Amino acid sequence: MGLKKETGDKLFSLILLLPAVITTILFIVVPILDSVYRSFLDFKIKNIISGTAGTWNSFQNYTRLIQSGKLGRAIAVNLIFVVAVVVLQFIFGMSLALILNQKIRGSRFFRSIMMIPWVVPTVISGLVWMWFYQPQYGLLKYLVSFFSGGRVTEFAILNDPKTAIIGIMIAALWKQVPLGALLLLAGLSNVPMDMQEAAAIDGANYWQKLIRVVIPSMLPVIKVTLTMSIIENFKQFPLFWTMTGGGPNGATTTLAVLSYREAFVSNNLGSGAAVTTLWMVLMIMVVFLFNKALRTER
Amino acid sequence: MKVKKFIWQILRMILLILILGFLLFPIFWVLLTSFKSNMEAYRYPPTFWPEQFTIRSYLDLYQKNNEFFMYYRNNFIVSGTTAALACFIAIFGGYALSRFHFKWNMVILAIFTSAQMFPVISRLISLYKIMKDVRLLNTLTGLIWALTAAILPFSIMLMSSFFDAVPKEVEESARIDGASRLGILFKVVMPLVKPGILAVGIYAFLMTWDDYLHSTTLIQKDELRTLSAGVALRYLGELSYDWSLINTISIVGTLPMIFLFFFFQRYMVSGLVAGAVKG
Repeated sequence: MGLKKETGDKLFSLILLLPAVITTILFIVVPILDSVYRSFLDFKIKNIISGTAGTWNSFQNYTRLIQSGKLGRAIAVNLIFVVAVVVLQFIFGMSLALILNQKIRGSRFFRSIMMIPWVVPTVISGLVWMWFYQPQYGLLKYLVSFFSGGRVTEFAILNDPKTAIIGIMIAALWKQVPLGALLLLAGLSNVPMDMQEAAAIDGANYWQKLIRVVIPSMLPVIKVTLTMSIIENFKQFPLFWTMTGGGPNGATTTLAVLSYREAFVSNNLGSGAAVTTLWMVLMIMVVFLFNKALRTER
Repeated sequence: MKVKKFIWQILRMILLILILGFLLFPIFWVLLTSFKSNMEAYRYPPTFWPEQFTIRSYLDLYQKNNEFFMYYRNNFIVSGTTAALACFIAIFGGYALSRFHFKWNMVILAIFTSAQMFPVISRLISLYKIMKDVRLLNTLTGLIWALTAAILPFSIMLMSSFFDAVPKEVEESARIDGASRLGILFKVVMPLVKPGILAVGIYAFLMTWDDYLHSTTLIQKDELRTLSAGVALRYLGELSYDWSLINTISIVGTLPMIFLFFFFQRYMVSGLVAGAVKG
């Protein structure tokens, strides 16, 4: 009887999982493996149109990308973007969470309206900031000229290769700080009050209390929040594509933009697949190292 | 000591106002601009309050640029169907992953976890050809399946964290009463996780409403495009944008999400938080 129940359970569980497994295999696993395979082929849109198979080109997709310097630059831009946004998101999100965790008037209301940027579609959040940055009539141009006493009259953050990435980082932060704050707030409310109070009696001041007591006890939530943020920012595409298209002069070309450009603008699917393959490896490595780093710290 | 505490409070309030200002002002500015006349929107220095409130740009959007509403409708169809489909599959999958811990279930869980890390563009490079081969390119069906697969891993894991909260004893007693396995799932367990189902559905709707990449690559017919892709291709193509129009689009395109969020935030927030805190 016991054995029979287990066989039944196994069968039942398999049947329940079947739709999910089939969908995932058909639309995620197979395409990913297929695209890794195609990264070693000379495979362009014209192959699809004429129906001819791609041909092995002895790693040329990879060597061409590396030699042209495009790949190295995209990796650098991508890493700078991810590190800056993840760190700043954590600082802003944590500050907001710490403030809202206290009994202040309107805390519930603030928690609710702070989520608005999170529900704004990504393309639209790009447009919101582009209007703010707009080089002729934008509010930012006016504010810069006002606060610099009229010395700076031309300010176009997205048109300068040095500042364009900052412009996009601000838009990314705007959209992501709310979720970070929300998750960290949930983590904070799980830190036992008596633990915080005990530290206060010991004479620990605010910062010591924060670093020695509060942060360690909410480490699991911090880890999840940061991991989600790393993945999200590594994959960011619509913001770059709408706000700068990877420009000016390639200054905001991340791996996402580079792969999209190679695959769907230059119509070289093999080369695009080479970028996404390396991108995937890099992302998995970063997430793995990050999780390892946080584990040893405990 | 008291003075120090007071200064500390003031500093905190200033920080709160600064961060909330950063989060809320840009969208407020877009909203304000959308009520200005076209002439006023293009004035420099900008006016901080519309001299003359007008809904002209909203009327224009409705009368002159009504392709927008075609994208809008498509997006509702795609997001709604995807959310329903993802929910349906996630109920079964999530239940299985929560209740049974067989070896292969762990393997499946590992695949779902890593699936979230695969770049969308990597999938699309290959899906483009596959969809063409099976004649699903340029169809909403193809787009809906591709999107369902994309949000499924997270939906299932979220759903399974809700099933985890249902005690096993509830099922045991139903089993003793002679209920079948499916009967237990539908009649006993599912009513207990209704908030979870709602959370997964809303989350799936929100995430697919945001989709840009799937739609731009898998759909090339204008009449089938969804919001983000349609707006980007139709209204952002020119060198100088019609900002009046774009500000209006931004507001109208965001409104459904804001309504959805404010109506259901209790479910969404608790769901996301439960999923994240559990890890």
